Amino acid sequence: MASSQHVLLSPAELSYLHSSLSLTPPIRPDGRSPTQYRPLSAETGILPGTNGSARICFADGTEAIVGVKAEVEKTKRRWDDDAIYSENQPTEGEGQQQPGRDGDNGEESGSSEWVELTVEIPGYRDDDSGTIFLGQMLSEALLADGGFVRKLRINRRFHWRLYLDILLISPPLSYPLPLLSLTTHLALLATRLPKLKSEGDEDPFFDDDWAAAPYLYPRDPSNKQKVVERPPVTLLVMAVGGNIIFDPSKEELAVADVALAVSIGDDASTAQQIQGGDKMDVDSFSHGSGSGRNLKLLSIRTVDPPSRLTPPGVANAANSAYGHAQVVSSAGAGGNSQKMPEARQTESEAVEGVWKPPRGGAKAIVMGALVQKVLIRGGVADEVLDALEGVDTS
Amino acid sequence: MPLDTSTYGLALLRVDGRRWNELRRIYAQIRTQAAADGSSYLEMGHTKVMCVVTGPSEPGPRRGAGISSAGGAGGGGGGAGGQSKDAEVVVNIVIAGFSSVDRKRRGRSDKRTLEMQSTLANTLAATLHTHLFPHSQITISLHVLSQDGSLLAALINAATLACVDAGIPMTDYVTACTAGSTSTYAANDEGADPLLDLNHQEEQELPGLTVATLGESDRVVALVCESRVQISRLEGMLAVGVDGCKQVREILDQVIKAQGQKMILEGTVDKGTGLNDMDLD
Amino acid sequence: MPREAEPSLNERQFVLQALQDSIRLDGRELDQYRPLELTFGDQYGVADVTLGKTRVLAKASAELTVPYADRPLDGIFNIATELSPMTSPAFEVNRPTETEVLISRLLEKTVRRSGALDTESLCLVAGQKCWSIRVDVHVLSHDGNLIDAACFAVVAALRHFRKPDTSMEGGVLTVYTPAEREPVPLSWLHSPFCVTWSFFGEEGDIALLDATWMEEQVRSGSCTISLNKHGEICQIAKLGGVPVEAVSLLQCTNVALIKAKDMSSKLDKWLAEDAKRRDKGGLLAELSAENDRVPDI
Repeated sequence: MASSQHVLLSPAELSYLHSSLSLTPPIRPDGRSPTQYRPLSAETGILPGTNGSARICFADGTEAIVGVKAEVEKTKRRWDDDAIYSENQPTEGEGQQQPGRDGDNGEESGSSEWVELTVEIPGYRDDDSGTIFLGQMLSEALLADGGFVRKLRINRRFHWRLYLDILLISPPLSYPLPLLSLTTHLALLATRLPKLKSEGDEDPFFDDDWAAAPYLYPRDPSNKQKVVERPPVTLLVMAVGGNIIFDPSKEELAVADVALAVSIGDDASTAQQIQGGDKMDVDSFSHGSGSGRNLKLLSIRTVDPPSRLTPPGVANAANSAYGHAQVVSSAGAGGNSQKMPEARQTESEAVEGVWKPPRGGAKAIVMGALVQKVLIRGGVADEVLDALEGVDTS
Repeated sequence: MPLDTSTYGLALLRVDGRRWNELRRIYAQIRTQAAADGSSYLEMGHTKVMCVVTGPSEPGPRRGAGISSAGGAGGGGGGAGGQSKDAEVVVNIVIAGFSSVDRKRRGRSDKRTLEMQSTLANTLAATLHTHLFPHSQITISLHVLSQDGSLLAALINAATLACVDAGIPMTDYVTACTAGSTSTYAANDEGADPLLDLNHQEEQELPGLTVATLGESDRVVALVCESRVQISRLEGMLAVGVDGCKQVREILDQVIKAQGQKMILEGTVDKGTGLNDMDLD
Repeated sequence: MPREAEPSLNERQFVLQALQDSIRLDGRELDQYRPLELTFGDQYGVADVTLGKTRVLAKASAELTVPYADRPLDGIFNIATELSPMTSPAFEVNRPTETEVLISRLLEKTVRRSGALDTESLCLVAGQKCWSIRVDVHVLSHDGNLIDAACFAVVAALRHFRKPDTSMEGGVLTVYTPAEREPVPLSWLHSPFCVTWSFFGEEGDIALLDATWMEEQVRSGSCTISLNKHGEICQIAKLGGVPVEAVSLLQCTNVALIKAKDMSSKLDKWLAEDAKRRDKGGLLAELSAENDRVPDI
């Protein structure tokens, strides 16, 4: 499931789409505003056999189901465990940052091996590079700070092993990242683990009353609906010209200058110090405490947009069918091989109304604007999380 | 956990409280997904499957996983999609990791899944009028969300519903259900009762078979028996199974008709065909 | 992917038309098998089965290994099927075709899941040591009805096979070479055989046994029934194809039982003949292990 699946649009259509998306304000083919998501219907707890499950249908007919299952597993003790704990030093997880406040209690850390995430896209092999990339992006957001795996600790000897199975039910009509991420988010919110009855480091045993089982993401005791902390969400954002467009459809993605998968987390607990300089060298944004959300940036990945592989248009000036090219081409012109170099030539300069696939990277300022747009207070991330809060996850 | 069949002898009730000839609750829906050509959702007890049909369409590039009806010893002959004069039926089954009680991940190359894919492809290829769509491909992808016995039967039923929804011409409904027998192969006890529609626990402990029939006839499209059983027991099991298929057909038929009625009332069908013009029994 | 050439329309028509009049190309009755031949190899556990022009070789082997963690009391038993390009250009190495998957599933269900081999008897020390029995099935020549031939070969190879004798004394496990002690047969519980029916025509009303490759290519459905001589069905697989009346399927099963009994007695006879052949010294062999020494094991 590569993002660069075949787009059956002609260069002329691509050019039209590109210019209408570059207008201010942009005009999207389906009439949405640049920050608007496709309407969706969502439900949770659809599968009683799982610890948590969710299903989301987008209005364009794409549909995903996520099931979460948990197993108790014995924690592998590391030989230097005790040494580290006694010195009260934070452990160094692979590719994850250890938030500062836990530095004083390294014992509470978890391992990213405790979470297993699989993505199934119908018609694609499970070792397809695109499928693996999707899975990586989703698990990366989840494991970005050690917070999630820390929830899976039972005691020093045991932990929960969490299996997330993400199924795309419909054929992949658009790049399914936003859909899968939102579904995973809801499934995790609805996930409950049996209530622990044993104490300390003894072999764990659990309350068999499912009604007493606490949520993986605890609820506010005063308001059952209110979730204190929420799982991460990965948003797909793209830029065309100077415009930033959220939740692009397949056609829109086909003309993107740059596409980003931005993962954000929401920690509504009191403002915390976030250490910068994680492995991916991504600045962390933290918006001061007080009311509202505490959005933080967990990871960013560039998604290779299919626009780079689209066929370029040929300007009239270079098209021998219009006679202009006669000057350049030799006698008996019109052969494809001879036309090619000219087409390349025209690629370098932009001609109005002629589709030219984007080349090279994105400007740093565009990237900055993309991220800013996601994280700004009252921005899209806020809107998406607000909408997700409306879903009944109890 | 051995199944206590002794209580069955006393009250003639099975572990889940059913009698020998009772089906579990079947709940089905068609047109569950807007974007698909045909789709369905089916529950047989706690076995839950979803089906999405794409096509008939131009055959795409062949991608690893699916098993097609054409070619091979089991199929009805014919070549690969592109050149064949019949449409090719490609079936993909995804068994979700969370579908069983203990999470078990099955790869796409799991032989049991491949066998089920091949069974479904050949079952449907025999029923769909594939000769109407030469050089094309009908892709059926099935998702197993929850398993509690009679999986193959549920998959066949869901695929039938989705094919009806997709509007692919077919001879008749193919419906399937399982049948079993109350005693194991070792006990050669003549009083053994046949059982209809096995759940997971019964499937583990008792001999059983899956049978799929065409429409209201007694004609068997698929018959799969994977357990050891006395040959004398087969007739009873098969009779109960075939009878169960007819009951399932009745239920699926109701689902289709209800949806058809709803579509007419909502005006999603062309004007001119009114309720009275359609034979809705 | 290379494909086998399909029969032409004329050939197809000819075969089907003849079948309407109950005539088969090779003049057999509808329920008649081609001549079944079995040759045992010099080693124990090698069976070479020919069925007309179809030829399948099965070889059983045993090795000591550690049992699976979830089944500490069971030995390991595997059947590996290989359809090489030698059989037909349509088969590729390392890429299981649908045919191959179905054959290996059928053999698995027929022989392994029906409990023909007592896997508990393969366990030597619970959770630590057990025998791993493996049967490799090689199809040497494909002229239809691979399944029945392969199943017969597997059963023959396993029944013919002898594994080294072992003993446990005071917690010490000893495995004896064939020179020290005569190898022992596997603990075999019952012998299942596959019988494959092929159905022809739109209605599936023509049914025949032991189809040749040509017949398999034009058939509209098939049903494989596995049973043993005690009348126990081990497996039935009618995986789609043309619909067939339930009653005729029952009749097919009854005929299959006769065929299975027939195969069973043939195999018994051949096994007895082979045992006699190996037992060169007659009665003396029972007295001296020396005479029984089998080379190359």
